[in-house]
Amino acid sequence: MDFSWLSDPFYQAYLWEGFVNTLWLLLVSAVGGLLLAVAVALARLRGPRPLAWLAWAFTTVIRGTPLLVQLFFFYYGVGRLLEGVPGIRDSIFWPLLREPFFFGALTFILSVGAYSGEVIRGAMQSVPRGELEAGRAFGLSSFQVLTRLWLPRAIQLCLPTLTGEMILLLKSVPLVSTIAMMDLLQAANIIRDETFRVYEPLLLIAGIYLATTVVLTLVLRLVELNFPGMQPTQRRWLPIR
Amino acid sequence: MTSSFERPLRPQAAPAVVADHLIKRFGELEVLKDVSLSVAEGTVTSIIGASGSGKSTLLRCMNLLERPDRGELAIADEAIRFARNAQGDIVGLDRRQLQRLRAKVAMVFQQFNLWPHLSGLGNVIEAPMRVKGLSRKQATALGEHYLERVGMADKRDAYPAFLSGGQQQRIAIARALAMEPRLLLFDEPTSALDPERVNEVLGVIRGLADEGRTMLLVTHEMRFAREVSDQLVYLDQGCIAAEGTPQDVFDDPRCRHFVAPAA
Repeated sequence: MDFSWLSDPFYQAYLWEGFVNTLWLLLVSAVGGLLLAVAVALARLRGPRPLAWLAWAFTTVIRGTPLLVQLFFFYYGVGRLLEGVPGIRDSIFWPLLREPFFFGALTFILSVGAYSGEVIRGAMQSVPRGELEAGRAFGLSSFQVLTRLWLPRAIQLCLPTLTGEMILLLKSVPLVSTIAMMDLLQAANIIRDETFRVYEPLLLIAGIYLATTVVLTLVLRLVELNFPGMQPTQRRWLPIR
Repeated sequence: MTSSFERPLRPQAAPAVVADHLIKRFGELEVLKDVSLSVAEGTVTSIIGASGSGKSTLLRCMNLLERPDRGELAIADEAIRFARNAQGDIVGLDRRQLQRLRAKVAMVFQQFNLWPHLSGLGNVIEAPMRVKGLSRKQATALGEHYLERVGMADKRDAYPAFLSGGQQQRIAIARALAMEPRLLLFDEPTSALDPERVNEVLGVIRGLADEGRTMLLVTHEMRFAREVSDQLVYLDQGCIAAEGTPQDVFDDPRCRHFVAPAA
């Protein structure tokens, strides 16, 4: 084992940039993806029939094709098509549209939207009907029932599952190294190519992923524990006995 | 205890709700067959009958959780504007009117139906804030008053999962009272409770009856219905088989077989 390359400030900078990009992509994809997931769940449960079908088709296509294929499809396919749009290089969006980050985020947002959309749909269906009925009986509007009662309860029910989805998302991020984005894996690849050390950079970033996962799990567990109205029996910090 | 929150009771006996010739079908099954019912302001009406007789459906028509297929309904002196098709069947409602009138008719459910992610007080102030537009401060004062009224002031910060069934139902009653409704609906409020918890909830409801609140109850507690009601309605297979004072109904030969054990 030789970790002497770690003292090189250039490699430190690569790793740091890769780490920051990884977290940033995780955050953007998680926020955007969960918003899309709520929309997909709502479309399937309450949307007019064409919209419900569209949401079903979206979910089926995204969940039925490999994430890496989707990433290539958007980056090489859609990305190339965008380049051909007249005047796009002069538009204010170009600095964003030419970045692999944009295509990575787009792919992951769609992915989270499809997978978590199904999770949230299931959770929304598990909220006891009586609770929503009580909201309607007291004169709350459909929108108020949704935002004040239905969604908070559904998210409470599926929070542990969503935590799992977020961990899977974190570990999908290294796929973007294939579209030339500087993430942790890309940093490790550069270090390997230049130092001919194969295992040490991989071990290092594996450790970083593991540590990030643990932190992510604990943070989301904290959110879960502090969710108002938590069952008394479930109030344990670590979800182990 | 009198307080500024309590509305003065109305001396005149104007009806709080009038249902006229209601028909309700679930598919082929006719659950309510031409039922008419009126609850006078300041009085208590109980609906009794066997399971499946349409009691709960009738109650749920009063705030339109169930939409009747035929008939007329007036809540707080205001006729519901139903949309009807050429045959006269009800096919739609005026959403705005519905929300406005529902704020005047509060309901207590068999399964409590508290909102588990809101505290005791949170449950009570939610609708006054969102529906009646009260400020959090006003709603909290109101909520604390009614929690006190049902003996749950010390549980204002407790979440439903930490409370017994009887405590949850008392909070649900405070939630209904905080709307300061013209009419209180109770759908078998003690049926989901342990036997030893029934009396604490019945005690609260009895207190409300004594205050002269307008109430419509569906209950299996015959003795209780007899004691608190001004009007008793015996429903049998979707029809009103007998109605009148509790004495009338309990003496009516058509329902003696049903009410006999309690008489």
